[in-house]
Amino acid sequence: MAAPQLQLENGAGNATLRVSGDWLLTNLLTIAALDQAVPADAVLDGAALTALDTSGALKLLQLLQMAGLNPEQPVLANFSVPHAAVLNLVAANFAASSAHPTETRMSWLAHLGRSSCDLFGHIAGIVSFVGALSIEMLDLLRHPAQFRVKEFAAQLEAVFVNAIPLAFAMMFLLGLVFTYLLGIQAQQYGANIFVVDGVALAVCRELAPVIVAILVAGRSGAAMTAEIGSMKANDEIDAISVLGLSPYLVLVLPRLLALLVALPLLVFVGDLAGMLGGMLVAAQQLEIGVATFINRLNQVLDVKTILLGLIKAPVFALSIGLIACRMGLSVERDARSVGAHTTSTVVQSIVAVIVLNAIFAIAYVQLGY
Amino acid sequence: MQATDPIVELHDIVTRFGTTTIHDGVSFAVQRGSVTALIGGSGTGKSVLLKEMIGLLRPTAGRVTLFGVDVWAADQAQLQALQRRFGMLFQDGALFSSLNVQQNVAVPLLEHTALPVEECLQLARLKLALAGLPPDAACKMPSALSGGMRKRAALARALALDPEILFLDEPTSGLDPISARAFDKLVRLLSGSLGLTVFLVTHDLDTLLSITDQVIVLAGSQVLAQGKVEALQQLNDPWLRDYFSARPAVKEV
Repeated sequence: MAAPQLQLENGAGNATLRVSGDWLLTNLLTIAALDQAVPADAVLDGAALTALDTSGALKLLQLLQMAGLNPEQPVLANFSVPHAAVLNLVAANFAASSAHPTETRMSWLAHLGRSSCDLFGHIAGIVSFVGALSIEMLDLLRHPAQFRVKEFAAQLEAVFVNAIPLAFAMMFLLGLVFTYLLGIQAQQYGANIFVVDGVALAVCRELAPVIVAILVAGRSGAAMTAEIGSMKANDEIDAISVLGLSPYLVLVLPRLLALLVALPLLVFVGDLAGMLGGMLVAAQQLEIGVATFINRLNQVLDVKTILLGLIKAPVFALSIGLIACRMGLSVERDARSVGAHTTSTVVQSIVAVIVLNAIFAIAYVQLGY
Repeated sequence: MQATDPIVELHDIVTRFGTTTIHDGVSFAVQRGSVTALIGGSGTGKSVLLKEMIGLLRPTAGRVTLFGVDVWAADQAQLQALQRRFGMLFQDGALFSSLNVQQNVAVPLLEHTALPVEECLQLARLKLALAGLPPDAACKMPSALSGGMRKRAALARALALDPEILFLDEPTSGLDPISARAFDKLVRLLSGSLGLTVFLVTHDLDTLLSITDQVIVLAGSQVLAQGKVEALQQLNDPWLRDYFSARPAVKEV
């Protein structure tokens, strides 16, 4: 491969710029700029040019421009027909390639304004979403036959049945660890039996509802946003609307109701799993047999405690479902948007679950439960 | 190299998905500097064949040679060297949605050359101008482009490394007739002035009639015919007759 070169020759008559070698993309970096002044009437001689592609042509024109010649109308001599065609094609497009398109960068103030507007739009969007959903729900009460039973069943399977092993395993391990650590402290005071009180209260009232809700937010909430979002990006939502159906009725309501049913059930599974884990550790570490454990549970665990935990579940489910479906429906038509909205769903629903749980805790205390 | 040496050769390609046979002994060659079109009814495996030619999908049997190298016997390094020498335009553009248009076009340059970023972006803008996009499109995101502009931007990306051969998968589908004809002219211009070899899969009769040197017809999992459009129009094959008569039928209405 011949090295690409550009040399100035001041012969008789006009000055000549001699182009030689392979002017290809692969050896653009080896091309040196001209170090001499070039007369304005210099002619470009391409007799020794062996190869030229568009990248090489652009580089050549850039060098001409740096030497003070007009890159858009080079004076050519002895170029082969294909090389001249490439050079002329690139010369015709030279101005467009050297134009610097201005990328609009926003100042921090504009950023602040834009994010405030976005936040406002987001809140307004949630309000409008809840409104539209409520109207659909009222409509459904009038025509219950329109309810999508099949979709609801499929969602229930995805959200509840398939999540049982995971919810069980997580709460079982959490109950195990919690009892173990509580037991170490309680043993020092000979208060072994009170570990049962602690585990029952913690698992049923706080741990199971919050952990299971976070699990569902990460598992089902993300799936819902990604699924609805991909459908939106694929125009499927518009197709549903054009068929005279409501996307709320077909997609949102079955998911929301499935979550409403599934989350309390999953929390109950979590309650059982947590206490089972506690029972195992109590028998091994604290010498509290299964019979003793159950007997103590009977004394300290009211139905009220379990209900206080279970009541939170539908509220969490509602917030997860609303966030997931609303974020899914507001996806734009590109892959990045689906990812961003799914992330946002998980973050929003976990924050919502934790904030709601804090509100419940304060409310329960104030109400004297 | 001579002007008549084949740049792509297929030998007895067989493709099976499960029990369905898509290709059963497909062989042809594409000459350097030509514009070759591959036509055939829906489901005859045109896109599949294209994928096998560029090393994305392994044929069940047979050999594909690109620039004289057997694609499916090449090691990773050879395959990468091959990939720098061809450009591929996917049906829907396949622009990266997280990058703006000029960054999309600069991706191959940034990955495969040691050129500084500014130079890559300038080369990218040259390719965009060659593909017929206005300069202010350079900083737009792909989602803000119309279908035709998206195709042009994708063509610019396929041209980024100054490839010797360009593969186009239905380049004019989804474009209005005016944009489609402009796209045809552009392909012809590039192939003429840059000496590009172009291999395209198409359903567009106008593209066939206006820019191709050679047409390959795929039917019944084999190459039904190969040659110039005029020659194919003379052939007495029911499918081809229907194919070429589709347009006059529209004109009569």
